[in-house]
Amino acid sequence: MPETQTPATTRPLRLGVAGPVGVGKSSLIATVCRALADELEIGVITNDIYTDEDARFLRSAGVLDPERIRAVETGACPHTAIRDDVTANLLAAEDLAADFAPLDLVVIESGGDNLTATFSPALVDAQIFVLDVAGGGDVARKGGPGIGRADLLVVNKTDLAPHVGVDVERMVADASTARDGRAVVALSRTDPASVAALRGWLLGVLAEYRAGTHVAHDPGPMAPHFHADEDGGILHSHADGDTAHEHHGQHAHDEQHEPARAPGRG
Amino acid sequence: MTTPQRAPAAPAPATVAMLLADARLPGGGHAHSAGLEPALLGGLPAAQVPAWMVGRATTVSLVEAGTAVVAARLLGAPAGPPPGAVDAVVRAWSARTPSGALRDAARLLGRGYLRVARTLWPHHPAVAALSGAGGRGVRDAPPRAVVLGAVAAATGLPPADVVRLTVYDDAQTAASALLKLEPSDPLTAARWVLDACAAAEPHVDRVAACRTPEDVPASGAPQTEGWAEAHALENEKRLFRA
Repeated sequence: MPETQTPATTRPLRLGVAGPVGVGKSSLIATVCRALADELEIGVITNDIYTDEDARFLRSAGVLDPERIRAVETGACPHTAIRDDVTANLLAAEDLAADFAPLDLVVIESGGDNLTATFSPALVDAQIFVLDVAGGGDVARKGGPGIGRADLLVVNKTDLAPHVGVDVERMVADASTARDGRAVVALSRTDPASVAALRGWLLGVLAEYRAGTHVAHDPGPMAPHFHADEDGGILHSHADGDTAHEHHGQHAHDEQHEPARAPGRG
Repeated sequence: MTTPQRAPAAPAPATVAMLLADARLPGGGHAHSAGLEPALLGGLPAAQVPAWMVGRATTVSLVEAGTAVVAARLLGAPAGPPPGAVDAVVRAWSARTPSGALRDAARLLGRGYLRVARTLWPHHPAVAALSGAGGRGVRDAPPRAVVLGAVAAATGLPPADVVRLTVYDDAQTAASALLKLEPSDPLTAARWVLDACAAAEPHVDRVAACRTPEDVPASGAPQTEGWAEAHALENEKRLFRA
């Protein structure tokens, strides 16, 4: 970073990257590394389901010292590893930060899951949810916690849009509507302007984080919620969640939660 | 979520045991298979899993259990833990756990458990005594059995329950991993968990009576150690850390 003043916090910013399988999460991380490698010290943690495929992809991309890319096993439950029990990822992030101090940024890639998997604020300070145009122009309209409330929504692979019959502008407009105006970047790694937009967003979040003004927030799991209050709080279910389930850590509850099933551990 | 400044009363030790045995407790255990994935990758036929579980329950699980029992006694001593007590227990455990891969995995679990312990019982001297033993890296962290001992000391968990908890947790971890590795009726695996725990029952009193690091059982399982080492080198077929 160009600033030389002492940062408000010395722990690296932890950035989550989530989204369905095949939307280009690893590729996006490689793009981030390429765009910022000259100014930031970066480490990456991958959460593959069955192999260290993503870690190997990133190592082979040559955008980062291979030692700075680590794979974490998730016991076949990638969504558990980023939400219900973030221990393994948290320890890996601590180790990366200690081994390569001082790091500016640790990127944690979720194992490709579904539209409902998002990171717990116990693990990441900010998160990107990734879709791609090939998944269909209507996906952004369908919403969900990641699409609606991640810090940034990336609509990836815009260069493919003409081939899959998707109107990118329309998709981005739909996404912006679903997100109440939160940030959306239409990205193609071959389009420098879109990469610059992604880079600018990330540096903005990092600056806020360092200044102590960035607030990590939870896009919202789809599970019963514990509301703390003066009287000790109440547990309530938003829908048909079958197990009582508290959040670890506090988060604002002024957002609308759509009904869905409680995430299981499988 | 708010944490009361003063709990009106401490939970019963049995409640603490249930909390620790519950896979929903976020301590990092879900990424581990208690040696099952290494065993299956190493060629253990799925049909032999119940016998293998009984084998663990009467060997390596008892090493872990004895380590936790001794750690609890030393860390819970009324006059405070004797100097070097934690190191002595860790050394005894290390000598009985020859596989470096297994020691690394146990220390990783220890770090996860330590997060739990420091969050839930931050001021208890037994938990505080592990400070410095935690370190930053995997190799410096106390193994899970030692952290469990600290929690037992902090919460009054009786030694016999520490043994049963350790045996149960190991068996249930393997059973849960089995559903990902060799899918079958989950209740079949539950039966095997109970069978493994029953097989350990005759050993409970003996292990619960351990007082010094030298008392920790030395019942190893060399094949398990070998499988764990091979598994740690396997990069493409792993679902679990160990």
